Amino acid sequence: MRKLLHFCFFIFFLLPLSAHAVITMELTRGVAGAIPITISPFAVTGNEPTQDVSAIIGTDLQNSGRFKLVSSNGNNTVTGKIKSVGDDRYQVSFQMFDAYKGKDTAVLGRTYTISGNQLRAVSHHISDLIYEQITGVRGVFSTKLAYVVVQRGVGEMARYILEVADQDGYNPRPLLNSSEPIMSPSWSPNGKQIAYVSFENKQAAIYLEDVATGGRRLLSQFPGINNAPAWSPDGRKLALVLSKSGSPNIYIMDLGSRALKQITHDYYINTEPDWSPDGRSLLFTSNRGGGVQIYQVNLASGAVSRVSYDGDYNARGSYTSDGNHIAMIHRSSGVYNIAILDLDTGTTRVLSGKAVDSASPSVAPNNSMILYDTLSGGRSVLGMVSSDGRVQLILPARNGEAQDPAWSPYLG
Amino acid sequence: MQLKKWIQTILISGSVLALTACTTHRNTDQTDVAGANSAYGADGAQSSGAGDETRFGDQANGNRSGRVYYFAYDSNVVNDSDKPAIGANADYLVAHPHAKVMLEGNTDPRGSREYNIGLGERRAQAVAEILAQKGVNPKQIRIVSYGAEKLASAGRTESDYQKDRRVVLVYLQR
Repeated sequence: MRKLLHFCFFIFFLLPLSAHAVITMELTRGVAGAIPITISPFAVTGNEPTQDVSAIIGTDLQNSGRFKLVSSNGNNTVTGKIKSVGDDRYQVSFQMFDAYKGKDTAVLGRTYTISGNQLRAVSHHISDLIYEQITGVRGVFSTKLAYVVVQRGVGEMARYILEVADQDGYNPRPLLNSSEPIMSPSWSPNGKQIAYVSFENKQAAIYLEDVATGGRRLLSQFPGINNAPAWSPDGRKLALVLSKSGSPNIYIMDLGSRALKQITHDYYINTEPDWSPDGRSLLFTSNRGGGVQIYQVNLASGAVSRVSYDGDYNARGSYTSDGNHIAMIHRSSGVYNIAILDLDTGTTRVLSGKAVDSASPSVAPNNSMILYDTLSGGRSVLGMVSSDGRVQLILPARNGEAQDPAWSPYLG
Repeated sequence: MQLKKWIQTILISGSVLALTACTTHRNTDQTDVAGANSAYGADGAQSSGAGDETRFGDQANGNRSGRVYYFAYDSNVVNDSDKPAIGANADYLVAHPHAKVMLEGNTDPRGSREYNIGLGERRAQAVAEILAQKGVNPKQIRIVSYGAEKLASAGRTESDYQKDRRVVLVYLQR
């Protein structure tokens, strides 16, 4: 009965707002000092466009947690025009004004001529430009999210779907639909391929799939574990975990030659490799020290050093792009949280800060946010938290439980 | 007193290392496992799951029943109470050399997904170890770890987690 009510709530609440979104973002905590900005509805000439460009921009900026939408305030103001110029084609132009230069001089402005199915994309692009203009940081509104949806049917049979959606949850597209588990999606550095683990053959196997075409190839299916694929920064290698030696060890596969190099050589559980931005070392999770901790291995020398020291369970480490911080799963007081480790100071800060368990952290390419999975109302949902912990969003999926997400690199 | 503790530590570590070496020796012989795997030839890169096998609900009577073995939190130690049931399956496998089993290792959903894959495999290996000790040919045993990806229970309480931490023994061929 409760499930039925829950389902009805979703349909009632979300349907009018998000006809095409299967994942919706809900801002649960915004920044107190958010920057006020006014987005005036764009003036439309000719046919009404099928997407509300100014509303998409407003939602993008608001959901970043760094902006507060206000009516005219004399500060940052964005105005725009949309003119239909042919069969489902539009000319979209915008201008941004700030308090210093006043109303006569735009600090930012562009014009685009696009087709109707590019309206959301151009809106996100405008959001990126505005975000970067004001904060100095490149926006991620045009990036994508990969994640796994699990549909638990009646009588034990579940369905697993690997999906890719826009960063705001719109336009989800299935890359794989399976009756067996899918896990650990990993984007190639150019955003064109995703590596993932599929159990469709009743054993773990790593596939590479082309995001645009859906074409894929089987990369690794040794006896035992074939898991945790991680692309090197130059896109030429894949770090992965194989247990063909008897227990899980880290390997690197050259994608051209398929040659394997073994990196760890012991009988512990070694997993979750993550490349440093300079490609010279890997982070990995291991229980070699008794608890579960994050280590680093220098690929040239093979030297291993421990990275995490706070608490007895730290896993799934991944670098920010500047190499100065590591996002990870950190257990404290029995709860698994998303935390960030500052490599300069050695301090660990918990970001997700709830009483429910979270996992699978993935850092946005501009380091502003961390995407992860968590529980809400007993269901697995995606969450986002800013790297300073102040902004929080949840992204529940309408078609099932969402888990194991991966943030794409900058695209295009 | 300090010295005595050091000696104790060294002796214990030494014996743990020796035990580890003993138990993993068997696992490093992968040729038999490869043989077992090749018998199941995957249908290429298809995404649909093949057939159905009797899984968790199978509580039939008989010595070979009890094909789900549960584990304590963060542990891969097989319960003594499960050993007779595992032994009965071992006897069957020894008597039927063409029979094959799959041991599916699972964990509860807390913590890292990929680390849980490692834990699940440890649990399945612990059951495989008992079968092998009773004379089962490794070629008859196949192992897969699902980690936390095939939860037995949708709930998120301690009692749900207890149901998740399991190894499922499935007959692929009798």
